[in-house]
Amino acid sequence: MTVNHVDRDLSAMINAFLADQPAPTFSRSPQALRGRLRFDRSQWQELDALGLARLTTGTELGGSGAGLPEASILLSSAAYHGVFAPLAENDLLANWLLQTAGLPIHGGVRTACVRREPTEVLAVPWAGDVDGVVVLDVSDDGCWVSDLRSSDFQTSPGSNIAGEPRDDVRLLSDRSERVQVPRSVAEEFMLRGALARAIQMCGSMSRILELCVDHATTRQQFGRPISRFQAVQHLISDIAAETALARMATDAAVREVSTDRWDTNSAKFAIATARSCAGHASSVVVPNAHQVHGAIGTTLEHSLHLYTRSVLAWRSEFGSVSHWDDVAARLVTEQEDAWGFIVSGESPATVV
Amino acid sequence: MNARVFPWGEPEAAPLRTLRSDVRTYLKEQIQRGRFRPSVDGWSTGWDEDFSKDLASRGWVGMTIPTEFGGHGKSFAERFVVTEELLASGAPVAAHWVADRQMAPSLLRYGSDGQKRRFLPEIARGESHFAIGMSEPDSGSDLASVRTKATQTKSGWKVSGSKVWTSGAHKSTWVCVLARTAPVDPHDRHAGLSQFIVNLASAGVEIRPIISMSGHHHFNEVFFDDVVVPDELVLGQIGEGWRQVTSELGFERSGPERYLSTYLILAEVIRQVRAGALPHTTAVGQWIARLAGLRKMAFSVATAIDRGESVNSAAAIVKSLGTKTEGEIVEFADRFHDQAGQELAVLRQYVETGLLQRPSFTLRGGTNEILRGVIAREIGLRG
Repeated sequence: MTVNHVDRDLSAMINAFLADQPAPTFSRSPQALRGRLRFDRSQWQELDALGLARLTTGTELGGSGAGLPEASILLSSAAYHGVFAPLAENDLLANWLLQTAGLPIHGGVRTACVRREPTEVLAVPWAGDVDGVVVLDVSDDGCWVSDLRSSDFQTSPGSNIAGEPRDDVRLLSDRSERVQVPRSVAEEFMLRGALARAIQMCGSMSRILELCVDHATTRQQFGRPISRFQAVQHLISDIAAETALARMATDAAVREVSTDRWDTNSAKFAIATARSCAGHASSVVVPNAHQVHGAIGTTLEHSLHLYTRSVLAWRSEFGSVSHWDDVAARLVTEQEDAWGFIVSGESPATVV
Repeated sequence: MNARVFPWGEPEAAPLRTLRSDVRTYLKEQIQRGRFRPSVDGWSTGWDEDFSKDLASRGWVGMTIPTEFGGHGKSFAERFVVTEELLASGAPVAAHWVADRQMAPSLLRYGSDGQKRRFLPEIARGESHFAIGMSEPDSGSDLASVRTKATQTKSGWKVSGSKVWTSGAHKSTWVCVLARTAPVDPHDRHAGLSQFIVNLASAGVEIRPIISMSGHHHFNEVFFDDVVVPDELVLGQIGEGWRQVTSELGFERSGPERYLSTYLILAEVIRQVRAGALPHTTAVGQWIARLAGLRKMAFSVATAIDRGESVNSAAAIVKSLGTKTEGEIVEFADRFHDQAGQELAVLRQYVETGLLQRPSFTLRGGTNEILRGVIAREIGLRG
């Protein structure tokens, strides 16, 4: 199963629903000038009713039982349409952790985080808006999963550069059941989050490309659309090329882990490649898009910022651009045969 | 909604992996036996006719030529795998490169039956050396302005004019010349062009070397003074030259030679980091990841060609990103080491070749500015 084999009807349904959503709203305060995205609970309920809020969660656990290719269509389309919700957090992270731990999945919306310090976890996505936080404890002794309800923790609000809630969580009690899971779960958590952000970046960058084409072909200066100027064409062509590269690398990573093998060097390399390509693409896409749009693109009233800000936010979550460059560098340097590793993706020990 | 400007990617199937490993094993042996010395940009500068013939005897030249014309009836995906391995190892493949990459697809699409029978088997044997005569002293990126003229005579055509940057003409048997066969129509500058296959040993052909700043003799200027070309060596239709040339650009623009010309340099950096002669750096990951993404794109173009899809703009994306990356890898490696140390001597030599070849990467086969124009048209910026 690959991204291009996702059922057309499902893909069309996802796009139709997301295209129809109202623009996101932000709450602003003197302390948070750029605003915090409001979680739209009624939208979430609709997503849930359509089976999209728990897309990859097993059917026996009340999910839709779909795979990562379907999830990638959903996440990419949501980013493209400017729909901000904890889709990746709820389905790909929280429910996956619960499923892995054999814990029940009750209703409601969840986020997930890794706890390394006893009582505090910083910048947890949407923590102030959700019904529960699935906590993955990682220590030298091993890994444990617990499902905390909102009475078990307090949050103090924060947000990433896109305005998405990234709240600090203070854990009040340790009443909930803790289930030990394999150590590999900690690494897979990071890989899942990283891949989700790469997919979202691709969705946003596709939208940015489209906004640039629309703007350049309609905005008139010197008596003609600015798209007639070669300098402008080249700025946008580079956006198209970088976006295509990021998407190709990300699709390849989705394909690599759609067999649900996250623990191979080839899976790690594919995800590092996706994050590196998407991260470096953003360094071309975001500045070029703002250059094409001129001053209007720097304002709240124009929608460009919804997409450029989210690309900037996501490229630094679940590892920085440098982190993923570093992962790719180390993986390839460890190999006896670097080229063989790059092309086959598999080091001999992990060929399946 | 979410429009794609690029074909979908496909994974590399198991038979392709086997083919890949066969080629790699062979190349490793050849290097160990000292049969060739890996060189940066070897597809452009490494001319070794015996090596080309040996590759051909293994079925790795003329792969996509149908068996009835002496080829191997393989897919572009299979050819992709073989060319990637050749380029990654820095093999000297220039002698058959143009014939195999450009002339074979052109002959298959536009050649007469007689031309196919005459040229294709020779190409598949690795014995055919072709040059391409497109640019002229006054026609670089603006190809429609070519002034080389072909006029019809009782017994065929007479070609007069000059071509420049003609790679390998001094070692080739044939040159495929784009010439004007009708006066310029100001309303359709691309009309009135035609393609001719010209024997470089013909009377009236003069080849003058152009020496590159690296000291290599690779380019030539080729002069044609009433060179007689028989009717049977007109390629395709008279007046259709522009369409014929541009429709085949996908083959030339999306291949691994558009991102692997400097792979040897990166491989040597990795080897030296591994050996401890150079420090670890995240930049290695940036360039490796970029190459890993680019090769997925190029492979998806190869499979799109196999499906008969139009790939011109996708190929332009691969070439513009890939050739820029080739240059950036040289730049990175040059900034990352100094000239001290015996263990870095090979790297230094690769980097110096790379620095001097680099300006060509984003010029040859269509400048990156032209390519961005192609992409701009595809995404609707140029009406």
